[in-house]
Amino acid sequence: MTETGAPSWVEAADSQTRLGFGLALTEIAGNDESVVAISADTVDLIGLRGFLQRFPDRLIEAGIAEQNAMGIASGLATTGMRPFVCGYAPFITARSMEQLRNDVAYANQRVVIGAAASGVSLGVAGGTHHALEDLALTRSLPNMTVVVPADAHQAWHATHATRDIDGPVYLRLGGRMAEPAVTPVDGPFRLGKADTLREGSDVTVVACGCMVEPALRAAAALADKGLSARVLNMHTIKPLDRAALLAAAAETRGIVAAEEHHLAGGLGGAVAELLAEHHPTRMKFVAMPDEFAIVGPTDKVRERHGMSARHIEEACLALCA
Amino acid sequence: MTSNTEAQLQGLRDRALRIRRGVWRALYAAGSGHVGGSCSAADVLAALYFHHLRVRPEQPDWPERDRFVLSKGHANAALAAVLAQAGFIKEDLLDRFYGYDSPLGMHPDIKVAGVEMSTGGLGHGLSVGIGMALGARLQGQDFRTCVMIGDGELQEGSNWEAAMAAAQMGLSNLTAIVDYNKIQQGDRVEKTVDLDPLADKWRAFGWAVREIDGHDMAEVVDALDSLPLVPDKPSMLIAHTIKGKGVSFAEDTYLWHSNAVTVEIYKQALAELGDPE
Repeated sequence: MTETGAPSWVEAADSQTRLGFGLALTEIAGNDESVVAISADTVDLIGLRGFLQRFPDRLIEAGIAEQNAMGIASGLATTGMRPFVCGYAPFITARSMEQLRNDVAYANQRVVIGAAASGVSLGVAGGTHHALEDLALTRSLPNMTVVVPADAHQAWHATHATRDIDGPVYLRLGGRMAEPAVTPVDGPFRLGKADTLREGSDVTVVACGCMVEPALRAAAALADKGLSARVLNMHTIKPLDRAALLAAAAETRGIVAAEEHHLAGGLGGAVAELLAEHHPTRMKFVAMPDEFAIVGPTDKVRERHGMSARHIEEACLALCA
Repeated sequence: MTSNTEAQLQGLRDRALRIRRGVWRALYAAGSGHVGGSCSAADVLAALYFHHLRVRPEQPDWPERDRFVLSKGHANAALAAVLAQAGFIKEDLLDRFYGYDSPLGMHPDIKVAGVEMSTGGLGHGLSVGIGMALGARLQGQDFRTCVMIGDGELQEGSNWEAAMAAAQMGLSNLTAIVDYNKIQQGDRVEKTVDLDPLADKWRAFGWAVREIDGHDMAEVVDALDSLPLVPDKPSMLIAHTIKGKGVSFAEDTYLWHSNAVTVEIYKQALAELGDPE
């Protein structure tokens, strides 16, 4: 515990989901000898330097070879180990997609994928290093659980929660930048149960990951204009919280889905798939359009491509007009 | 090195013949299938399952069992035939090969007793095998992991990621066997994307390598008895084989990589394989 009363990992996580994951993984490894981390030359990206020092035998360095890293994880899992394969979101999904599908999902092995630098967090790196299709890739696979923690606190708790998941898990993590806290330090993280971060009766914003905080800002701005916006942190993309979504569809005038991901196949798509069949609802989507992102600082890239608090607010206003 | 008596070797040759009959039986039931790469692997599979691997068919999930991964998953008819012969699965399951909702499709499924990994997408098995070998090392277990790879499959780059990593990790409890029958789906390997000099490539990647005649049971058994070939390195056995081995019209031709198996063809094949029935 620190002077403020918060657990010591909170300060070390530095408000970054990738570090929340790495710190939780290191703690889990201290309690469970079957835990093994597989790195694709991503020890520092995931904050695993401490893991490496404490458990050098259980940090498998696969090098810059995501396909091999994913296959190794599957093989380890068959022997009763608990592998966490760590990498850059754009590469640990798309590059090793067939290994993820066949060796991990099809063979239904308990492999956790910690995927940092998702979305446009590597803004200046350009389109080769953006991960805007990873949710589509992972959530389309049977057996997968897909989680997008909204902040470092949630990343910590979600990483611990993988203990109870009997199958593969995709944990989408952010980049090397602070992500404002929107959930309590002590959780709780309830897999498959959305956090209602703000009650509201006019419109609902369903957001995940780095779009949760802008959703809260948009809701505050809307309140000033007399509109009551509900904000759901849909941290679990699969399995979706059907009850929360059906309630929102029934109780508010429309739903805005907000995510840092292509419009195709992400959170918004998942919500629309559910509601179109079970409770047709007016929707707006705040997501990456069908284009590759420009190069630039992450916040400016998000703004340029329509993924910001302002865009969420405008979408809500349009639904309530 | 143990000496294997002629009677033991003949017993393994008989096992291999039964695997080949099982392959044809399964693929006749299926109507078609991968005869060539299944029959080329039969002798090595017989030596593995009836001489080398420590497995318990009555307890397929025995934690200390040796692991075998058929990376060239399209040879599933051979794997099914050997698993049936060893007693992991019932022999008459071969007659449901490709059947509706059958556990035996074109490629191995981990849900089948004795199958260690679902394979079929090529270039996957060696990485999975590394994970199994690491699992043994980390848990202080002495089980061994063996991966059979096809030759055409080595054109997949993921194998070479795995080759580098296994050497880096010094996985002496890992063996790869290339079923080098020289033919892939559409042509000879050398006319597609050549692998040679194959042994030199693996040596350069840090493996201990031995080349064997994959149909000479004495050589196959002697090589398996020699594992690991050297301490602290993964072992590679390059088994030179003949595609479709055992049935004259199916041998050494890409036409029998996968082909239809009619009742006439099936009868001819069994006649050549000396079907006791």
